[in-house]
Amino acid sequence: MTGALAIETEGLSKSYGSMHAVRNLNLAVKPNRITAFLGLNGAGKSTTIKMLLGIVKPTEGSGRVLGKRIDYPVESVELRRDVAFVTEDKNLYGYMTVEQIIRFTRGFFPGWRQDVAEELLRKYELPARRKVRHLSKGMRTKLALLLAVSRRPTLLILDEPSEGLDPRGIEQLLECLVAQCAEGATVFFSSHQIAEIERISDEVCIINRGSLVLDASLDVLRLNWRQVDLVFASLPDRGDFQLAGVERIRTRGQQMSLFASGNVDAIVERARDFHATAIDVSPVGLREIFLQSVEES
Amino acid sequence: MLWYKAWLETRTRFLISLAGMTALGCYRVWELDRNPEPWYKLDYYYFALRSGHQLITLMWIVAATLLLMGGLLREKALGVSSFTLALPASRRRLMGVRIGTGFGQGLVLAIVPWSAMFVTAALTGQARSIFQAWFSIVLLIGGGAVIAGVALLVSALIEGEYTAPMVSFGFAILCGNAPKSLEFVNPLGLMGGRAYLGGSNMLVRPIPWIHVTANLCVTAILVGISVKIVERRDF
Amino acid sequence: MLFRLTPSGGQPLYLQLMQQIRHAVETGALRDGDQLPGIRTLAEELVVSPGTVVKAYSELEHEGVLTMHHGSGAFVCANRRTKRLGECVQEARERVDELIQQLRGDGLLDDEIRRLFEASLLGAGKTVGKR
Repeated sequence: MTGALAIETEGLSKSYGSMHAVRNLNLAVKPNRITAFLGLNGAGKSTTIKMLLGIVKPTEGSGRVLGKRIDYPVESVELRRDVAFVTEDKNLYGYMTVEQIIRFTRGFFPGWRQDVAEELLRKYELPARRKVRHLSKGMRTKLALLLAVSRRPTLLILDEPSEGLDPRGIEQLLECLVAQCAEGATVFFSSHQIAEIERISDEVCIINRGSLVLDASLDVLRLNWRQVDLVFASLPDRGDFQLAGVERIRTRGQQMSLFASGNVDAIVERARDFHATAIDVSPVGLREIFLQSVEES
Repeated sequence: MLWYKAWLETRTRFLISLAGMTALGCYRVWELDRNPEPWYKLDYYYFALRSGHQLITLMWIVAATLLLMGGLLREKALGVSSFTLALPASRRRLMGVRIGTGFGQGLVLAIVPWSAMFVTAALTGQARSIFQAWFSIVLLIGGGAVIAGVALLVSALIEGEYTAPMVSFGFAILCGNAPKSLEFVNPLGLMGGRAYLGGSNMLVRPIPWIHVTANLCVTAILVGISVKIVERRDF
Repeated sequence: MLFRLTPSGGQPLYLQLMQQIRHAVETGALRDGDQLPGIRTLAEELVVSPGTVVKAYSELEHEGVLTMHHGSGAFVCANRRTKRLGECVQEARERVDELIQQLRGDGLLDDEIRRLFEASLLGAGKTVGKR
């Protein structure tokens, strides 16, 4: 599936009365990449994912997953044949054993790879006869991953996958996601864990208060965003530095600190024009980019 | 695979109910044969079975309400609904399996315990009337269907792990205490068959097919509404 | 093959990987004809997106440091040009060491020296130049 987007939405919105959980969202998730969906708690990540899977109906707008409409019930069922979803709580049917839930899930997917499931059972050391309600959260996560991955999904959607995992669990999770992408799957996961996103994602979509505020490749962000720290003998006016690309200016005493998404050359030149006594350009991590993007204007 | 899941989910409840109802029903009849009540002069065999029927009706209502506990709303309270809904199965199919399982099990619970009870009574060597068995089972199914329908609707409306069956029980209790004037529309009334007792307090022929059909239509409506609710709502 | 990537720095991971592979070639840790790990294997080992590895390998192939044989993987191609670059980098390292000693002698702290270099490299808006 080259070219066609894995997930695309147009003006997707969801309101509960006067509360707008998702506002006019336009996603464009490329296939065969790892895309992170980053936002604060309550930003609308889970609601968006639920709309994509037909669990919640949009108030307005439309979307397609793997080319099929999310708001048409028949197409929604069809698209779910190629999608695997791992929920935030990783709750599974408590009354089933590990074996039983594997058998149950397998029945829905003709392309199920039982050899993969068995390999993961061994690798993750999951007790086949134990009931799901007696599994720890870490084991439930591994089971949820097993159920997702054994069906050979074209698209893997995860909602806060590392929630409640210890560092080793997180490592295994990230390895699994990378492996899936290498197999040709598209991975779309929501998270507010910056470190993990920075490690494995190709693209990041930042959502705040229901709307998309940034949608870029991580490499582009790393190449373009910079912090410029300047010292002046006499501090110029902020207005002189409101150039294209400048996201935020802070001043204190003789210092001016600019946060820029690009156009750093021009900023440095302007600083020289104003005879800055010190010019420092340093790279910026995703954490700062994220916090800047969601700051109240 | 949804049938497999439904079976795993309900099999303990179902088998316990089946065993319990069968055992208690048979025991009641057997015990009454040994220690008959004073007013069973006319045909105490007949009245033993009537007593058994009352017991079974009561147990059936409890069992059916518990068997129809479940569904997506309950899964939502347990945090599992998203897993189910992300599977490639339409909501209609999910409901269909639940309805099939619940009502199917209810049917078995209406027929098997009563039949076992009838066989037990017959073993005591008394004259038997298959018609009574048949009549009682039909009444049980007719009225019970509405109770099951209400339980289904409540489970589609009320979220919570055990809240839905409690509300359904509440409804059944309400029916149990309803004024005599509502006897005809009361499903419990139909199940008890009081309207069909003749002068000798025995069930009078013919089987009230119209009444039963009306109840089944009401059930169909309740089921239809439940399915529509589940299809439309957000989870 | 031991590579370490720093995701929270300002540099794209594929560039970091490219540098480290080049460094390995220059120092002889990777020799001409050596096979590099497969894309999936390396991605899983480093726990990075396969896209990162793909980009790094294809850019290095473009530069002539690697050749990719479809199906069998990526192989080091330490040709004369790379060797010459290797010598260049050796020389450059000596010059940088000298300069740093001088600056330290002038009283600058290591941190200040580092910031000067970074500012010079990044402030101009250019990343590591393509060779």
